Amino acid sequence: MIFPHLFFEATVLASDKRDERGAMNNSKYVWLLGLVVTLAIIITPIILFVPDKAPKRDDPWAHVPPAKVHTDHTPLMQGPYETGSDVTKACLDCHPTAVQEVMQTTHWTWESEPVYDPDHGKYVTLGKKNAINNFCISIESNWPACTACHTGYGWTDESFDFSNEENVDCLVCHDNSGTYKKSKGGYPADDVDLVAVAQSVASPTRENCGGCHFKGGGGNAVKHGDLDESLYFPTARIDVHMGGYDFQCITCHQTQNHKVKGHAPSVSVGILNTENQVHCIDCHSEQPHDDPRLNEHTDTVACQTCHIPTMAKKEATKIHWDWSTAGQDLPEDPHQYLKIKGTFAYEKNLPPEYYWYNGTVSRYLKGDLIDPSRPTPMNAPNGDINDPNAKIWPFKVHRGKQIYDTVYGYFLVPKTFGEGGYWTEFDWDKAARLGSEASGLKYSGHYDFAPTEFYWPTTHMVSPKEDALQCVDCHSENGRLDWIALGYEGDPVKVGGRELTPAISKKTR
Amino acid sequence: MKSLIAYIKSFLLSSQFRPRRLFQVALLIVSTLVFISSGQAALAQGPTLHPSFPMLDENGNNVLETGNPVSTMKTCGGCHDTEYIAGHSFHADVGQSAMTEPGLVTGGHPWDTSPGFFGKWNPITYRYLTPGSDELLDLSRPDWVREFGFRHVGGGPASATEDGIPLTKVPPYKADPDANILNPKTGQPEPWDWSKSGVVEMNCFLCHIPNPNNPARIKALASGDFKWANTATLLGTGIVTTTNGQLTWNPQAFTEDGKLAKEYVTMQDPTNSNCGQCHGAVHATNDAPLVLQGCDWNTATTGEVFAPQRLYKTGMNLKDKDQLSRAWDIHAERVVDCVDCHASLNNPVYFQGTKDNQLNHLIFDARRIDIEEYLYRPSHQFAKGQSVQGTVAPEFQASMRRCEGCHDPDAVHDWLPYKDAHFANVSCETCHIPKMYAPAFQQIDRTVVRLDDDIQKVCRGAEGDPRHIETLITGFTPILLPHQRIEGGTPLSPFNLVGAWYWVYGYPERPVRMIDLKAAYLDGDHYRRDVLEVFDGNGDGTLDETELRLDTPEKEALIKKNLEARGLSNVHIKAEVQPYSISHNVTNGEWAIKECTVCHSKESRVAAPMQVAAYVPGGVAPEFFGDEAIPHAGAFVQTEDGGLSYQPDVAGEGMYVFGYSHVKWIDWLGILAFLGTLGGVMVHGGMRVYSAYKTPPHKVKTKTVYMYTVYERLWHWLQAAAIFILVFTGLIIHKPDMFGLFSFPYVVQVHNVIGFLLLANAFLAVFYHLVSGEIKQFIPQPRGFFNQAVVQATFYLRGIFKGEEHPFAKTPQKKLNPLQQITYFGLLNVLLPLQVITGVIIWGMQTWPHLAERLGGLPVLAPIHSLVAWLFASFIVMHMYLTTTGHTPLASIKAMIDGWDEVEIHNGNGRHPAEQNANVETEEAK
Repeated sequence: MIFPHLFFEATVLASDKRDERGAMNNSKYVWLLGLVVTLAIIITPIILFVPDKAPKRDDPWAHVPPAKVHTDHTPLMQGPYETGSDVTKACLDCHPTAVQEVMQTTHWTWESEPVYDPDHGKYVTLGKKNAINNFCISIESNWPACTACHTGYGWTDESFDFSNEENVDCLVCHDNSGTYKKSKGGYPADDVDLVAVAQSVASPTRENCGGCHFKGGGGNAVKHGDLDESLYFPTARIDVHMGGYDFQCITCHQTQNHKVKGHAPSVSVGILNTENQVHCIDCHSEQPHDDPRLNEHTDTVACQTCHIPTMAKKEATKIHWDWSTAGQDLPEDPHQYLKIKGTFAYEKNLPPEYYWYNGTVSRYLKGDLIDPSRPTPMNAPNGDINDPNAKIWPFKVHRGKQIYDTVYGYFLVPKTFGEGGYWTEFDWDKAARLGSEASGLKYSGHYDFAPTEFYWPTTHMVSPKEDALQCVDCHSENGRLDWIALGYEGDPVKVGGRELTPAISKKTR
Repeated sequence: MKSLIAYIKSFLLSSQFRPRRLFQVALLIVSTLVFISSGQAALAQGPTLHPSFPMLDENGNNVLETGNPVSTMKTCGGCHDTEYIAGHSFHADVGQSAMTEPGLVTGGHPWDTSPGFFGKWNPITYRYLTPGSDELLDLSRPDWVREFGFRHVGGGPASATEDGIPLTKVPPYKADPDANILNPKTGQPEPWDWSKSGVVEMNCFLCHIPNPNNPARIKALASGDFKWANTATLLGTGIVTTTNGQLTWNPQAFTEDGKLAKEYVTMQDPTNSNCGQCHGAVHATNDAPLVLQGCDWNTATTGEVFAPQRLYKTGMNLKDKDQLSRAWDIHAERVVDCVDCHASLNNPVYFQGTKDNQLNHLIFDARRIDIEEYLYRPSHQFAKGQSVQGTVAPEFQASMRRCEGCHDPDAVHDWLPYKDAHFANVSCETCHIPKMYAPAFQQIDRTVVRLDDDIQKVCRGAEGDPRHIETLITGFTPILLPHQRIEGGTPLSPFNLVGAWYWVYGYPERPVRMIDLKAAYLDGDHYRRDVLEVFDGNGDGTLDETELRLDTPEKEALIKKNLEARGLSNVHIKAEVQPYSISHNVTNGEWAIKECTVCHSKESRVAAPMQVAAYVPGGVAPEFFGDEAIPHAGAFVQTEDGGLSYQPDVAGEGMYVFGYSHVKWIDWLGILAFLGTLGGVMVHGGMRVYSAYKTPPHKVKTKTVYMYTVYERLWHWLQAAAIFILVFTGLIIHKPDMFGLFSFPYVVQVHNVIGFLLLANAFLAVFYHLVSGEIKQFIPQPRGFFNQAVVQATFYLRGIFKGEEHPFAKTPQKKLNPLQQITYFGLLNVLLPLQVITGVIIWGMQTWPHLAERLGGLPVLAPIHSLVAWLFASFIVMHMYLTTTGHTPLASIKAMIDGWDEVEIHNGNGRHPAEQNANVETEEAK
């Protein structure tokens, strides 16, 4: 570059010697070459010296599946259909494997595959089928009421045939008419127009999932705190995914062969099944913040902890249920007292409680002994400050008081629904006796009520980032986190965070 | 354990018992207690490390026994050097130690007697602390404590005179403003008995306990019950209770040995809430919505609010609050408390040397005072910034770390072109406090009196009366003014301007006393009849906001007359505009100003005016108050609605802001040159076309010669492209409003890069032309040059239309005709260097700011640069046109592309016939 003229002199000499016409021909496209060279010289330094804008660290949309257009089933489903099973048979004509797929899922079995439970030292199968909680306690002996949410027809007692394909209810998930309803035992309600429903079928919407999942625990917003009917038409402030970006449930709970991704720690034990879980980082980066100080949190704090500052944003959720006061003739209010159920407390827009959680819980199983003097955690989240897989998670904790056997020292399964059940007779002794026949748990004839706790990790109703927790919400004198209880020596801003040994933190990766 | 107790005993019983010792023991006890009893819990969440202590009265006796008010000096003095603390605190002193005769306070009013709250008059607080030499008493010392003690921590002027005489020793005397008080009924001074009222000691509790009862304290002060004020602060803690309206000590709160029971010991570092009791709005909790009631003195001089809460969570009717997800203040949000910046100046944790007191080679001086020493004698001089209004304790101005003391702006502003130039001329606050969201004062009108004793004022940032909860709060954009910093530099900084109108009287001037002003307007609790006659336009018997203003000569004359009737002379209205520095309500990069065109455009923030009055009482023009720190050059201009606003003068303040600033005549001259050239060549070209029709060009013998080497062509086109891009991007930078499509910062950077490309290309070309000898092409030969130039000019003016041959043959040895030679000579020797040099210096504002400053800075360099740019643009037009004057219109352009030119063959080896007959032609031309 320093001696360009030497080169050019040589060119000049060479061209001088050339025939004039020849030279002219050669240079026909010289303008193009010149243009390219000139532009290159102009543009190169601009590219080199003008700084680029910082690249985006996160593109969640890349992971969001496009919405499918569903085949119009109007001409295909002409009916007439007498029963739900008739519809199922019609579905099987074109989708011969669909029902078999459904029958493999927990939506049908209501129990897990056998899983090793380290707390009990054995393999257990657990699910809604046989679990005890501190809401309606157990489905055993109460089937018809509970199985109104089963994806089948006719589970009214223990004799239900789980292998009969015609018992599968396709419509509860695929109805898009909004008119389908299930009644006791899971049968379609009497006034359902099965033809119209069958013709409307399409991918599950929020209404399909919400019909059961928003009403867990016996009514809207009772159970979860982060799932309720406000999610049918939420604002972005309530749920940024559904309200801000119009997500459906299945946008995140992506489904393969009818197997819906995700599982709840209320009916899970043992080793975390990470493959079947929905995570924020399925779409978002693990270090999604611009501020490195925030990214430092992600090893220790679940995304949900900051991004779900409050639960039950619009509909109050049940936080307390005392069965022991049931049966009295007191003024009734579904949010305070019902004769059949006892005393409740509901709260709206409530901040979660925060505990370490590694994705597994210590599940109370039927027959486990309890200490009635203190609350028994039904599904205590596992993990502590020294557990590299544990993060600080937000929980809705539902505290209750329920019936137990004072002689055998375990929680009882009372029959509440149906003939002889507590809800008709208001006789705990009888309810316990009938319940024990169904559950196989021996009942001594002596009962009382003991406190319980039930933990729901909060993961829905994610707020927009503007609503996320701020530094002062935790790192201040009256912050949300009880650092000492979490195992810190104090606010980690002042005393330092948890230090995992290199070996342990390696395991985290 | 036993040995420890023995050790403590020996300390306590030792004959050399002194506070310092006691303090060491206390520390020892504390640490032991912490260690053995509470373990980690106490360290992390325990309320306080502070040991228990007895409450003592002014005589050092336990208050449980005497029932007397607590003496903080004695009580806290058990361990801390309270005398040192009270003596090293501008919060206590509030200017008393710097008191002078009126008229000697720099930057103050002519009647001010100190730079602090005690002695510095302010139109907002209004009452004038009267010096002993004054004839008429307005505000005496006892009255000051009653009126303004609510914003004073005690001590200083509330406990001793400026000569250090304890106030209890000052005898009641009705002619001594230290020991009298104005009776509002009689208007006469009456003696004040300090020994009865007691004094206000510096109030440790106000700042060092979690929930001090400030309202009870204020009530005690206002009622003149000074000695109980500090004790009243403890109401609600359980330590004192009220029995029959009298404060009594609660024995339950004390242990058997007369010390406070542990749970009552809540001493702590001052929290934001403690500071907020006096200093504007502080909102510590994140859950309860923040609500400000109206615009009151506490906050409204600037509208600053220190709170971590996000704006949209406010309970106020804040405009567009749904969109406002930023916090009121990023520091509050990120757990940076008041005392983290405004730390005690001898706190070893925060102490840092300055350039003045630290050796050059020392980055960190490890020798600092021990924590024990600090706790014994914690200086209560707190690091302070350099706000224009914070004049107290000038010796501590700028003792606080500025933004750069904690932040490294360099690390996060790479996106900002000319970041150093910006840092030097624009304060961090300018961009990081883009907007205020609370209402603030705009105008204080003290020329009139309201019935409700409130200040007659106009607030900005609210549509309507900000006292009403439903009023829409809009917030306001601060005005940007240059602020002279103590550490050097005069960066633009954000301010609120508050206009104030008030009456003065006498020789020398004093603000008219409130009592006189009230008498001029009021008769008891309603307006005087003569006032109503003149003021009450609608005759409803009361005065509304628009009636209660001095907007006619009659109103002004009446009040003047009424004031004079009270014996005041030289009564007239004065007006001032005070700038209030804004340095809180900071936001982070997400919300800061990042859009360059906010300043770099016609509607530049830098030049945005700010209204200072909705109306002008008495038509009196205000003066700008605070001249020293703010070298302003703007003017007050009338607004359309009859108000007044301050219009900054960017050029007058020595600034040149690209995209906003321009020198009018240069732009006009440039446009004229450009359009003139354009018009000229169009006329010339038109005539050529016309003449070509009339007289078809005769055939000339031509030949094809290799005119331009590859390098010459590359150089030419590179230079052409660069100049074109530079002129175009330069125009965008000059007038960004006209080119909204282009990103300003991107254009700036492209302009810079291409500028250097042009420079490099020019250097290489000079090198090439020197080495190859081609330089001679550009050097006009003096001999015969003038004549030759005339020949060429004649050709362009006449011959070219007749299809004449070119007067000078274009050959590879002589490519330029004489006119071209002189043009290029000027271009390459004058314009290009001038443009490159000014350009490089402007670019170098970043790296060598002093070089530019020495040459007059941007105000000189930038206009030159734009003038030359206009000339370049004109040249391009001319040059492009002249390329068509070759043998055929496109011949020269083609030659510059492929090197081969078709030139006319002239007789005699390149010497043109016209050249040989140059003299003849010249004569013809004459």
